[in-house]
Amino acid sequence: MQSLAKEITDLWQARALLAVMVARDLKSRHAGSALGFLWLYAQPLLTIAAYFLVFDVVFKMRLGEGAPTRALGAYLIVGIIPWLAFSDAIGRGMNSLVEAGALLQKNPMPPVLFPARSVLSSAVVFLPLIALLVPAYAGLHGFSAWLLLLVPLLALAVLTWCLLAYALAILAAALRDVIQVVTFALGVGIFLSPVLFPPTMFPRELAWLLWLNPMTPTVLGTQDILLKGAVPGFDVWLAMLVWPAVLAVFLDRLVARSREQLIDWL
Amino acid sequence: MQPALTVSGLGKLYKLYDSPRARLRALLTGRDTHRPHWALRDVSFSLERGHCLGVIGANGAGKSTLLKLIAGTLRPTTGSVRLGGAGRVTAILELGAGFHPDFTGRENLRFASALIGISPAQAARLEDSIIGFAEIEEAIDRPVKTYSSGMAVRLAFSLATAVEPDVLIIDEALAVGDQHFQKKCVERIDSFRRNGCTILFCSHSQYHVRQVCDAALWLDGGSARLMGPTEMVLAAYETHVRLLDSKQPEAAAPGAGPAAAVHKALEPGQRGTIREVTIGPLQPGPQPLLRGDTLEVTVLAQVAGDEEPNVAVMLEQVGGVGITSVATHVDGAHAVRLPDGNWRATVTFPELPLHSGEYVVSAYLFDAQGILVYDEWFKYARFLYASPARLPGLVSLRHRWS
Repeated sequence: MQSLAKEITDLWQARALLAVMVARDLKSRHAGSALGFLWLYAQPLLTIAAYFLVFDVVFKMRLGEGAPTRALGAYLIVGIIPWLAFSDAIGRGMNSLVEAGALLQKNPMPPVLFPARSVLSSAVVFLPLIALLVPAYAGLHGFSAWLLLLVPLLALAVLTWCLLAYALAILAAALRDVIQVVTFALGVGIFLSPVLFPPTMFPRELAWLLWLNPMTPTVLGTQDILLKGAVPGFDVWLAMLVWPAVLAVFLDRLVARSREQLIDWL
Repeated sequence: MQPALTVSGLGKLYKLYDSPRARLRALLTGRDTHRPHWALRDVSFSLERGHCLGVIGANGAGKSTLLKLIAGTLRPTTGSVRLGGAGRVTAILELGAGFHPDFTGRENLRFASALIGISPAQAARLEDSIIGFAEIEEAIDRPVKTYSSGMAVRLAFSLATAVEPDVLIIDEALAVGDQHFQKKCVERIDSFRRNGCTILFCSHSQYHVRQVCDAALWLDGGSARLMGPTEMVLAAYETHVRLLDSKQPEAAAPGAGPAAAVHKALEPGQRGTIREVTIGPLQPGPQPLLRGDTLEVTVLAQVAGDEEPNVAVMLEQVGGVGITSVATHVDGAHAVRLPDGNWRATVTFPELPLHSGEYVVSAYLFDAQGILVYDEWFKYARFLYASPARLPGLVSLRHRWS
């Protein structure tokens, strides 16, 4: 794990620059628009509003037995916000190295800054929205102290995104086709997750497929905490730890094999 | 004293893959199927504070690779780069990479300062002087996409050189903005050098290398072919280039008539070119023998727009001993505009104080400020001179017996 440790040291030493880069990245996402930073939150907020109005106010759709809540809109909102965050972070993080090619070729700076910047700025946009959901859902179960578990859960999730985004960014630098494949996977991946349907609705013999999605434990955990005020199960926490561990080993290899030439591939 | 820069055994191996697919496979499986290509191999040297090293060599000789390794944008495969002292390295490789078109000049300036390691406090202190040097006070709060390319480059150069570096790396980047600004750039780099900044300079223009560098490094196929005093290395390099040229059939024979001088379109990006160099008056006959004791060199040149170019002429003995150089911008002379738009400059050396021998003339074309070399015809025209004096020597000096 020497290579990865070196990347983490580099990242830590450049943390001041990283903060500047995150701020600039967020600003560049709405540069030139009149409403400015409101646009960053417009898409997820409108999604929340639409799900709530359509499913819970107008059609009053209900989930069947075994679901963590009866109201479909409330259920969807809890899953969709982490999923949007994930898909935004991975999509931008994966492209970050290729897009930073000119910058990296002219300035001596660690490449790891770029995927880290993309993931962190996505986190800065979406995580406050999850916090915003807390008071809305607390009514379902009273203010349970377990709500605080959201903090370690989401921290582990952001760590996983960072590792995955960096690994994909390196692969995309080696072969641009990776971007197309992953963009497609992000598009259909939501169907292989508990965001739209409770796991109980999946065919029993295919349910294991859900765990191939790195977002499944995060979504399940968020649902447990927000909808039921409960502690997520052992399987959720295990998966939350296994994903970053596996990705760290994989990324360490990738970094060791690509370090010297990465800049030339951009 | 500790050298400002020590490069030892520096090498850079590029792994060439047949396709990006092979690259991905190697990345995932660890099984390498690359062909090795050493862009730079085993280069070692050290530079004292305040020295200037010119890096010369053909395209693909590894000049840019060397500069990027020292700048730190590339990682070396072998060897190391050590900096003496605090060691701030500034590289002027490509200016303005990293400017975001939607942000204002000031916002870009702040971000770019962070990129090159200037703290926010220091950046705030330097901001006014950077903007002042770039001369874009009125545009600094407009988005960079509204800038002309010259303005963006001026801002980038001004920022890159705002903090005086210990080692400055310049890769053919002297062509910055308009002529007025170019002059300021050259002056700023000059003042760094006087203050003890070590400079690495890579240029195709041997004139510039001659003018500013104490030492030169000739790279050939990724290896250091020769390093030493500028004049020695350049002479060896020029001989090498001439030998290569002479093997090519289309190379002009020395002293022979040049291609017809016509006012044809300049190539894209080209700002000036020499069209013709003639020397005379010559005796009729196969040998270019000078008639009389007056040498006239006429340079015909074409430049883009209405810029008035400067012309320099260098006279050398064929063996490579320099005799003299003259230039319009040094002498306060002017080239003459011809009706067809070309420019002509003629320099006359009356009562040529030379001994008999074989001499060679080089011509250079400069911009209006006499800074940028647009074109050079190095050792283009050869002539023989038969001096009335029959004694050996090179030049006749004024003298007195007593």
